Amino acid sequence: MADVTSHTVACDISDAIATQVAAAYRGEGDVASICLGGSGSRAAFGLGDQATLSLSGHTGVEDYQPDELTLRARTGTPIAEIEALLNANNQWFAAEIPSPSSSSTLGGAIACGWDGPGRAFGSALRDIVLGCQLVNGRGEIVRFGGQVMKNVAGFDLARLQVGALGTLGAMLDVTLRLQPQPECTKSVAFDVAPEGLDAWWQRTRSLRPLLSGSCYFEGRLHLRFSGRELAVSDVLQQLGGEVSPLDWRALMDLNSAFFHGERLACAYLPRYSSLPLNSGKALVEWEGARVWVRDGDHLALARDVAALGGFVRVMRGPAVSLQGVTSAWHRALKSALDPKGVFNPVHFDRCFTGEGFA
Amino acid sequence: MSHIDSVRTADEQAFIAALRKVFPGERLFVNRENLAPYECDALPVYTTQALAVALAESEQDVVEALQLCKKFGIPVVSRGAGTGLSAGAKPIAGGLLLVTAPMKQILEVDQVAMTARVQPGAINQQLSIASAPHGLYYAPDPSSQIACSIGGNVAENAGGVHCLKYGVTVQNVLSLRLVSAAEENFGEVITLGSNCLSQPGFDLLALVHGSEGGLGIITEVTVKLTPVPEQTRTLMADFGSVRQAADAVSAIVRAGVIPAALEMMDKLAISATEAFCKAGYNLDAAGILLIDLDGHPLEVEAELSIVERVLAESGAIAVHLASDDEQRARWWKGRKSAFPAIGRLTPDYYCIDGTVPRHRIGDVLEASERFAEKYALRVANVFHAGDGNLHPIIMFDGREPDALERTEKLAADILEYCIEVGGTITGEHGVGVEKINQMAVQFSDAELAQFRAIKSALDPHNLLNPDKQIPTLARCQEYRALRSCCG
Repeated sequence: MADVTSHTVACDISDAIATQVAAAYRGEGDVASICLGGSGSRAAFGLGDQATLSLSGHTGVEDYQPDELTLRARTGTPIAEIEALLNANNQWFAAEIPSPSSSSTLGGAIACGWDGPGRAFGSALRDIVLGCQLVNGRGEIVRFGGQVMKNVAGFDLARLQVGALGTLGAMLDVTLRLQPQPECTKSVAFDVAPEGLDAWWQRTRSLRPLLSGSCYFEGRLHLRFSGRELAVSDVLQQLGGEVSPLDWRALMDLNSAFFHGERLACAYLPRYSSLPLNSGKALVEWEGARVWVRDGDHLALARDVAALGGFVRVMRGPAVSLQGVTSAWHRALKSALDPKGVFNPVHFDRCFTGEGFA
Repeated sequence: MSHIDSVRTADEQAFIAALRKVFPGERLFVNRENLAPYECDALPVYTTQALAVALAESEQDVVEALQLCKKFGIPVVSRGAGTGLSAGAKPIAGGLLLVTAPMKQILEVDQVAMTARVQPGAINQQLSIASAPHGLYYAPDPSSQIACSIGGNVAENAGGVHCLKYGVTVQNVLSLRLVSAAEENFGEVITLGSNCLSQPGFDLLALVHGSEGGLGIITEVTVKLTPVPEQTRTLMADFGSVRQAADAVSAIVRAGVIPAALEMMDKLAISATEAFCKAGYNLDAAGILLIDLDGHPLEVEAELSIVERVLAESGAIAVHLASDDEQRARWWKGRKSAFPAIGRLTPDYYCIDGTVPRHRIGDVLEASERFAEKYALRVANVFHAGDGNLHPIIMFDGREPDALERTEKLAADILEYCIEVGGTITGEHGVGVEKINQMAVQFSDAELAQFRAIKSALDPHNLLNPDKQIPTLARCQEYRALRSCCG
C-alpha cells in the first residue's frame, strides 16, 4: 500500500513546548501563563490576543495512508498544504475545515472548532477527530484517542479539544478522518423571499443524502449537491433552478465580502428555525440552523436567538453574555488538565466560566 | 433482623432503609435471590453481588439515589439493559446498582427536526420502529439492538454494523440530561450539548460518550434521526482465504466507496450461523463479506458496479446480490445472530473488541489463530471489517479448571497485538473490568494519571462506577511487571 510523503517542511518542536510549559507549571521565571497561538489568521474573528507561544513552527504530516482514510499532522501545519496532499489522492477531510488564509493552521482549526456550510448535511469537525497528542498543563506529553476509526479506550480527551480555544493543552498533533472526494459537485440557485424559506426547508429534507450545502443570501437560495454524477444530474433535473455562481470555498473560509463588516455575529439555532431577519444583513446556512448577521444589533439578536433555543457567538463588535455553559464542569476539567491555569487564561475566563462574554 | 442484615454494617442498613423511602416495594432488591439476576452484564464470566438493586423510574429517583450514595459513601453502578460486553455494568461489592431500564419511554419523535427525545432505558430498536412511520431511523445499530438501551449506548459510545457511513453513538446524539456528581453542582441535572448543530463551551457531550457511567448518570437523550435511504442493496462475497477477504476491504475503500456496512465472517462463524438460522451462506468459503450500499438509486447502482469489480479483482470466489428484501434480511439476520449461534457450539464464549488499521486486519486474524493454538482454544471471527473493528470470539469450557485463565491470556495476547499494529484494545465495547489491565499497555502513566484527574474532577467522591475503566497506578505497575517476567 502507498505511503504518501508530504512536501511540507517537517519541524518537531514538541520538547521545546513541553519545557516551556513545565517551567510555567513549576513557577520558574516570570511566566505564569502562556497564550497559545498559530498563524494568527483568525485574529479578525474575535481571537486576536497576542500569542506568547506560537505552534506555527511545529509542522509536518506525520502519517498519511490513503487506504486507511486517516491523516496525522502536527498542529502548526497549514491546512492548505494538507489539502494539496489530499487532493493529489482524490481525498479530503471528512468534514469541512474553514481556513481564512493559506497560512491557517490545523491546530487553530481544532482550537476554534468552526464548521463549514456542509456541516448540516455531513460531519462536524468534532466528528472526525480520532486522536491527538498534547502537552498538558504539567508539561507532560500525552496522547489520547488513536489512528483507527473507532476507539473507546479511556475518556475522549481528543474531541474535547475541539472548540476549547487551547485552554486545555498545547496540541501537538491531531489525527483526522478523511473521505473520498465526491465524483461530482454542482450548485443551483433560486429566487426565494424570506417567508418562503420554511417551505423550502421541507423540500430540502427530501434531497438528502446528495444535498451538501445550503446558503440563503440577498434573496437567493443556493443549494449544493455532491455524489455520483448520474445521481446528482438526476436530482438537478427534477429540481430545476439556475446554475449558482456562489463561491462555496470563500463562504466556508469566511472570505466572502459579507464577512468583512465592522460587526459580525453567528447565531446557532435548532434546525429549521425561523429567525426574524430584521437586524443587519443576514446569511442563512444549514437549513436555518446557522445565521450570520453582519452589522446587526447583537443584543437584540441574542434575545431573539435565545427565545428560539439557540445561542450567539460574536466574532466582531459588541459582546453578548454567554448562556448555557455549565461552568462547574468547565472549571473542574480545566483544573484536571491545566491545574495552574497556564493555558490561555483570558479565553478561559471569557468563554467558559459563564461569567464572561462571547 | 434477617440473616442478610446480620452481615451488613449499620451504615449499610441505614442506607437501605433510606433507599426504601425512594424506591418502595418491588423497586428495591436486597435479598440474595433477587440480586442474583443483576450480578453480571452480558459478559457473565465476571460476577459480583450488589448491596442493593434499585429500579429508577424518574430523573428524580436518580438524583435522590445519588444524594444517598454520597451521604452514606456508597458507590453506585448505573445499568441500562445490561447487554454490555466488558463487565462495565457489573455491580460493586457493597455498592448500589441503579437500574434505569424502567425509564424506557420514547418521549418525542420530532418528524420535522428529525430528532427524538428518549429516556435512558429506551430500547435502541424501538426507537427506529417508532421513527419508521416518519421515514426516519436511528442509525447506530449494535448487534444487541433488540435489547440494548440508548443510555447504555451513550455510556459505551456503542457502534454497530452501519457505523462506517453513519458514525457511532457520539455522532448521532445531540444532547443529554445528566445528574452531575461534581463538587460544585452535585446532584444537579445538567444539559450537555444542544439542539443546535454546535454547542457553547467545551464538547462535554463527547466527553460523556464512552465514559462508562463514570462521569455522571444519564437521565435523558436527544438523538439525531436519519432518513431511511431510498434504496439499499446488499452484496455477499465468498473468499477462499480470510487474508483475501481482509484485503478486499481496503480495496473497496481505495476505490472511493464508503459502504453503509462492510462486515466479515470467518469459516467457523459462517458454519455456526448457518446451522443456527439458515442464512444462506456458502459453507465452503473461508471468509465472507456482507456489504450494504444505500442512498439515491443511481448512486447505489454506480457503486454496486464498482464494488462488484473490486471484489472480483480481489479474488472473490463468488459475489451474490440479494434479490429482494427478504434475502437481505436473512443474510443480515445471520450476521446479527452470530454470537448466540456460536454460543450453541461451546459451553462458554468470550468476545473481544480490538480495532486496528484496516490493512492490518489480515495480520491480526492470522496472529489470533497462532495465539489460539498456543492456548489450545478456538476463535471464531465476525466483525465490522470496514471500521477495522475485530470481534474475536474465544470458545471455551468454563468447567475445565484453567479454561477461563487460558481464555483471558489469549484475549490479552490478541489485544496487545492490536496495540502493536497501531490499534486500540476496544472499539465499541468499552474497557469495564475486562480490559483494565490492557489500559496499562495502551497508555503511559502520565496518560492514565490524566484520565484519573478527569474522573476525580467530575466525581470527587469516587461514587460513580469506581475501579473500572481506568486502572490505578499500582495495578498498572503490577501488570507490567507480570508481563515482562512471564511474557
